Amino acid sequence: MTQAPPSDTARRKSGFARAIEHMFTRNIPAKIAATPMVTTVLVVFIGCTIWTIWYSFTGSRLLPSNEFVGLAQYERLFSTSRWNVSVRNLLFYGAFSLVFTLSIGFLLAVLMDQKIRFESAFRTIMLYPFALSFIVTGLVWQWIMNPTLGLQGTLRNMGWESFTFDWIARGDMVLYALLIAGLWQGTGFVMVLMLAGLRSIDDEIWKAARVDGIPAWRTYLFIVLPMMRGVFVTAVVLVGAGIVRLYDLVVALTNGGPGISSEVPAKYVYDYMFTAGNIGQGLAASTMMLVSVIIIIVPWAYLEFGGRGKNQ
Amino acid sequence: MARAVSTRRKVAVSIIAWAIGLIIFFPILWTFLTSFKTEGTAIAVPPKFLFFDWTLENYFTVQERSDYFRHFSNSIISAVGSTIVGLIIAVPAAWAMAFSPTKRTKDVLMWMLSTKMLPAVGVLVPIYLLFRDFRLLDTHIGLIIVLTMINLPIIVWMLFTYFKEIPNDILEAARMDGAGLREEILYVLTPMAVPGIASTLLLNIILAWNEAFWTLNLTTTAAAPLTAFIASYSSPEGLFWAKLSAASTLAIAPILIMGWFSQKQLVRGLTFGAVK
Repeated sequence: MTQAPPSDTARRKSGFARAIEHMFTRNIPAKIAATPMVTTVLVVFIGCTIWTIWYSFTGSRLLPSNEFVGLAQYERLFSTSRWNVSVRNLLFYGAFSLVFTLSIGFLLAVLMDQKIRFESAFRTIMLYPFALSFIVTGLVWQWIMNPTLGLQGTLRNMGWESFTFDWIARGDMVLYALLIAGLWQGTGFVMVLMLAGLRSIDDEIWKAARVDGIPAWRTYLFIVLPMMRGVFVTAVVLVGAGIVRLYDLVVALTNGGPGISSEVPAKYVYDYMFTAGNIGQGLAASTMMLVSVIIIIVPWAYLEFGGRGKNQ
Repeated sequence: MARAVSTRRKVAVSIIAWAIGLIIFFPILWTFLTSFKTEGTAIAVPPKFLFFDWTLENYFTVQERSDYFRHFSNSIISAVGSTIVGLIIAVPAAWAMAFSPTKRTKDVLMWMLSTKMLPAVGVLVPIYLLFRDFRLLDTHIGLIIVLTMINLPIIVWMLFTYFKEIPNDILEAARMDGAGLREEILYVLTPMAVPGIASTLLLNIILAWNEAFWTLNLTTTAAAPLTAFIASYSSPEGLFWAKLSAASTLAIAPILIMGWFSQKQLVRGLTFGAVK
């Protein structure tokens, strides 16, 4: 990430008019080629986002209406306990799922970073959960964690009377149940990513570390880990995108219950718009989600990717 | 590769690795096995692993009750359709960004990718209303449009990373030898881009196949894909394990089988191009 040379900056400023001219004449085929995509993205994402934000300031109920109510929807949103629980749940799930998928994924990758037999088949199997729809994951785990029919019931029937695994039915533990299903789906994926990262580390580094007599765990922690920054960034982006959109898994696994103890923001939006017939309230909630994602993403992306294409 | 290891240690690690693999795979395996049991055997104590009367009854019941094949063909149409449309839009865009990058290329990419981080539910209502007005609800075309749009950023990003690996020198050499734009694309670029496109294609089919949020909200019956099919077993039939298993197996089998036969593309695609 080096600074652009000053001469370049100077040229850019003095040739402003030329730059404008260039904008329309240079790389014509490239511009034409990119047009359909840019148009789609612009119209759909920007258009729909603006629409959403505008109607969150209205009193729309079953149908969108233009009756302006100011911040009333937001006041109501933050005084609804279900919304506050949803936000807390998402933060909790997000933090834990990010930390655990990354750390377990990395540890597994370190363990596998030797020539194990049938490695490509192994990688495929580790990736299988990630290739499943959240709906299927949710149903399968709903069944495993069902207190009477699943793991707990089976082990108890087999004689282990005191075995308890009823998280899914307990309000204080249900988020951990959600977390287990999420980890099952995501860890193998992170492991495969990390494994590829470990493989890309030069053998010379290992040799040098060995010559210096550095123990393997320290080499991993202090030399290899910092070198895998890029892989970690990719993993964080992909895992993070999954967390923000957490919806299907909750619907399939717990449907927000017991009570409201596993509600998430996306479900709140959905329920208000389609079940409760209160579009304005749903849109206020989704605007809050959009805004908080943007607040997190933009500064981070700017730092991480160096904004003005400095590191091209 | 990282370190030389003794054979004994290698075998030990292989065993541990495969044990972990088996644990990860077990829920899928168990679902598969249960789908061939009767409802009675499915909840038998102690659980029967392999030695039970295998039956296809659940599959017939599931097909009869919710018409698997219709949902299956809907899934195929929407996943393949959206992938093809997506590639048609994304290939030129990624090509442009990879071979004639401007100062803003990186920003555009980053911005596009960040839209993928935005919660889909934020734009659900406007899309729903647009679809209603254009009579696209519960149609294949509508589903293809929405799946294309949500996966487009990922497709462009992946294709971009693949295209960027193609050395510019080769293209210049081809140009020196008098290749026109057409020949350049047809004989130089395409053969080198095909592996990347294949991985992208597979990834996108999987993403579209699994997309539940939009498909559940924008379809009811006529265009409902397999995600809707499996979701319909969620609550009312929750206690019928064997049938639920048969439905789940039917819904995931196509992806798992396809993935097994294209492992390289699967790994490359599912890790979004990070694993070469």
